[in-house]
Amino acid sequence: MKSVKSKNILGCLTCPLFCTVEKLESVALNELDLGFMGEVANTPRGKGILLCIQCGRCSSGCPIARLTSEHNPRRLMEMITLGFKNEVLPTQLPWYCLSCFTCLDRCPQGGDVGEVMFAIRNLAVRLGNMPAGVAAQAKSLYETSRVINPVRTALDRRESLGLSKITTDGLEEVQKILKRTGMDKMVKKE
Amino acid sequence: MKYAFFLGCLIPARELSYEVSVRKVLPELGIELVDMKGANCCAPFSIQSVDHASWMALAARNLCLAEEMGLDIMTLCNDCYESLLMVNNILKRNQELRDKVNQILSEVGKEFKGRVDVKNLVDVLYGDVGVGKVKSAVKEPINGLKVGAQPGCHLTKPKRIHFELLRGFNELDELVQATGAESVPYERKEMCCGGPLRDINDDLARQVSRQKLMALKDAEVQGVVTVCPFCFLQLDLGQLEIKRHFNEEYNLPVIHFIELLRLGMGMKLEDWEVKAHRIPITGILKDRL
Repeated sequence: MKSVKSKNILGCLTCPLFCTVEKLESVALNELDLGFMGEVANTPRGKGILLCIQCGRCSSGCPIARLTSEHNPRRLMEMITLGFKNEVLPTQLPWYCLSCFTCLDRCPQGGDVGEVMFAIRNLAVRLGNMPAGVAAQAKSLYETSRVINPVRTALDRRESLGLSKITTDGLEEVQKILKRTGMDKMVKKE
Repeated sequence: MKYAFFLGCLIPARELSYEVSVRKVLPELGIELVDMKGANCCAPFSIQSVDHASWMALAARNLCLAEEMGLDIMTLCNDCYESLLMVNNILKRNQELRDKVNQILSEVGKEFKGRVDVKNLVDVLYGDVGVGKVKSAVKEPINGLKVGAQPGCHLTKPKRIHFELLRGFNELDELVQATGAESVPYERKEMCCGGPLRDINDDLARQVSRQKLMALKDAEVQGVVTVCPFCFLQLDLGQLEIKRHFNEEYNLPVIHFIELLRLGMGMKLEDWEVKAHRIPITGILKDRL
């Protein structure tokens, strides 16, 4: 039995019935960031968190949740709602989602779980939590205006087939845009 | 019909055979493709995860280029499609975000006006060309070939966007049937190929594609038909990786829909294009290659 008691909480003890967050017992309530849900909801793709009713349809359809118990969208929504900021943002949790959008179709609330994932990944990146693969793509985008660049043999083949040249004509404008949005700093940090 | 041809990053770099087939087949069906000069990356999953405003602005820049050309966009990759389609949809409706994005774009002298639509190769073949015309273009039907179609996630999901576009969800199946091949239903058809997690969590990405391949094998298909370059990479090259990590062999040839159509229309694939498939397609399409 998990116990939750605090001055800020009514003590109706409905939450332990539904809670599967193993850490709930070990995290002291004053370590929770009760503004975390608001922070997520205030990002452009995070509003769906406000609609979550913890039904679990997202988890039951999630192809990743089927493979690993680490990823459980319903539980992640719960952790955000309860304010487990330090247990979510600096960890691997935001980076399991495939963005296949199965949960968007399944959510009875129109809560857009998969969109909330983008919101928390945006917040995680600001704390420096960015997987190497993503950092490499962001760097490539900033330096060449594309996330994947052709190798020599592909370029040669393109030429021999008479296909259009791969140019970086848009690079200057891309860099201007990224400087304006501040993404250039996130790229250099990595 | 004329389209601004958005190639994306992955196809010109790693799947030239896809690009070549599209450029050969579509003009035959009356679709003219105009290359987009100076287009940047669509801002896929990974970039969207880093920064929201950058995603919107980068995708909007591509949409602006198409607006300048006065043409609707056609993409080949599902990731490009989802990114451009979503930004186009959002900016057409949300004045507040549109003003924000236009402020960023003013830096490079562009403005999003919302005058073009974003389409996918399947949209174009199904909606503009039509299954009937595709069927009549198939001179040498590929009869007797049982394949599993893999539309990929962002061609049909999220459904609320695609319902608005009045899209059916069997478009690819109907197109596959039009080439004479049989599109076999299989479990987990709507499941992701695992591609988006490539380079982020390779192990999970492999396990997802493994599940997909298992379901395909259970349905006793002879091959897989894809439209998205990520699905192709993940299911084709992915089989070699699965062999290494799980010691399992599926030997399911993967072929892009447009290549299948090209063969059906009586055009041969060149040697290097056949070799671009890591799992040999020579077994199932022997006499046609």
